[in-house]
Amino acid sequence: MSDAWTRGDDARRAQAADWLVRLQAADATEAEACDFDAWLSVHPANAAAYDAALAVTLELQAASDGIVEGLAETPRRRPASRGWLIAGGIAAAAALALAVMPYGALAPPLTQTYATGKGEHRTVKLADGSTLELNAGSSLSVTLGRHERHVIMPQGEAVFDVAADKARPFLIDAGDRTVRVVGTRFDLRRRGDALSVTVERGVVEVRPGGDLAGRVWRLHPGERLDTTQGVAAVALTTADPQQVESWRAGRLIFRDQPLGDVVADLNQQFAKPITLEDPALAQVRVSGVLVLDDQAAVIRRLALLAPIKALPSGQGVLLRSDPAAKP
Amino acid sequence: MADKPSPSLTDDPLLAAYLERRANLVRFLAARAGSLAVAEDLAQELYLRLAARDRAEAVTNPVALLYRMAFNLMLDRARGETRAAARETAWRQTARTEVGGVEIADEPPADEAAASAQRLRQLIAAVAELPPQAGRAFRLHKLEGLSHAETARTMGLSVKAVEKHVSAALKTLTARLAPRFDA
Repeated sequence: MSDAWTRGDDARRAQAADWLVRLQAADATEAEACDFDAWLSVHPANAAAYDAALAVTLELQAASDGIVEGLAETPRRRPASRGWLIAGGIAAAAALALAVMPYGALAPPLTQTYATGKGEHRTVKLADGSTLELNAGSSLSVTLGRHERHVIMPQGEAVFDVAADKARPFLIDAGDRTVRVVGTRFDLRRRGDALSVTVERGVVEVRPGGDLAGRVWRLHPGERLDTTQGVAAVALTTADPQQVESWRAGRLIFRDQPLGDVVADLNQQFAKPITLEDPALAQVRVSGVLVLDDQAAVIRRLALLAPIKALPSGQGVLLRSDPAAKP
Repeated sequence: MADKPSPSLTDDPLLAAYLERRANLVRFLAARAGSLAVAEDLAQELYLRLAARDRAEAVTNPVALLYRMAFNLMLDRARGETRAAARETAWRQTARTEVGGVEIADEPPADEAAASAQRLRQLIAAVAELPPQAGRAFRLHKLEGLSHAETARTMGLSVKAVEKHVSAALKTLTARLAPRFDA
């Protein structure tokens, strides 16, 4: 291979990398996109160089969790003269681990249960450094074992911020689905038979458990999986994790969601139950943001988003269809 | 997919431009969306928008219009307004009998991934051996998901400098990890 050819190759690779990074910039412009298109058309090798850079980027991003962990385990190479120092450090660490391990090995893993009532939020810091933020009406139990970290979540919603620990995968049993992660942040929601997982950071694996057939799904940031107990099929969509996790900030954000789901969410937040007079109302689509302060105020705002009016009823609130109030 | 050349192809310069540079649009969308599967999906949606638009409008620069529409698609996607909502609706309506939405086809399932442990070691080594600044910028932006601006703040650099580091890192990684390309 001639020097001229190698140089050409190298220059193309640099241009391809520049284009890929530029197109991913927040301020990329339409004019730049047109220039990019023109650059691709100049020579087929340009497109090939770009495709190579794109493939490598996507591969690295898909493997990002594993790479970040691998990097954490691989100490940066240092000058050889300091080698003994590092070796000494490892020996000392090993001695410490030996001294400490029997206690960990003998003690049975402790299971802790956490629960929230209506309108209650709770943040739990686990001993492994993970953080769980529980939405209202949730319960889960946590067992931090030596070989795995295990959560059972019968119902509710939580944002999991899982500390990376390759030796101890983090498993969540949510009915007939198991969610497996290493180090990541995501929202897991289980209300009734419906299960949904929305990933904010890292990679989350959802696999069928028990007798359920079906494949393993790997979700990346901004992806959301919805499924139902006892059903093998899943729906994958894109979702904004900030929107899904809006409950953490005392807000609910709805985009084109059935009123029935909105009411079910509100009923986790307030003591007075809200009911729909006509079941057909449950299918009305609602979009909007509800700040969760006072229930009466929330319902007044909800009435601005949907053709309904609220009436007091026994211990709770009844929502009645009100075509005149159509927003 | 369903976007075969339609009979109207010859008399619609915009559709013709789309079909001619569909591959380039997918390349652009894949960079923005971070996924080939999503990019393919968006390109398909772009086609649907083109087919549905008012053809009486004169188009002076079809390529610019195509990329403007592609940008808008990405914006809509970021707002979650079109696809997510439409999919969820469709999903509820199909009585949950089929797998809906996109298959994530960019990578093998987990069991196969385990078999590619050797490839993972190659990836780790390639990233570990990047020059320090380029390596840090690449890691923060590409692996830990920070934006260019967030990476710049974390590293105390300008956004332009971060872009340069990430680009240099990507060039090195492509040379090392990609199969050779030939003209």
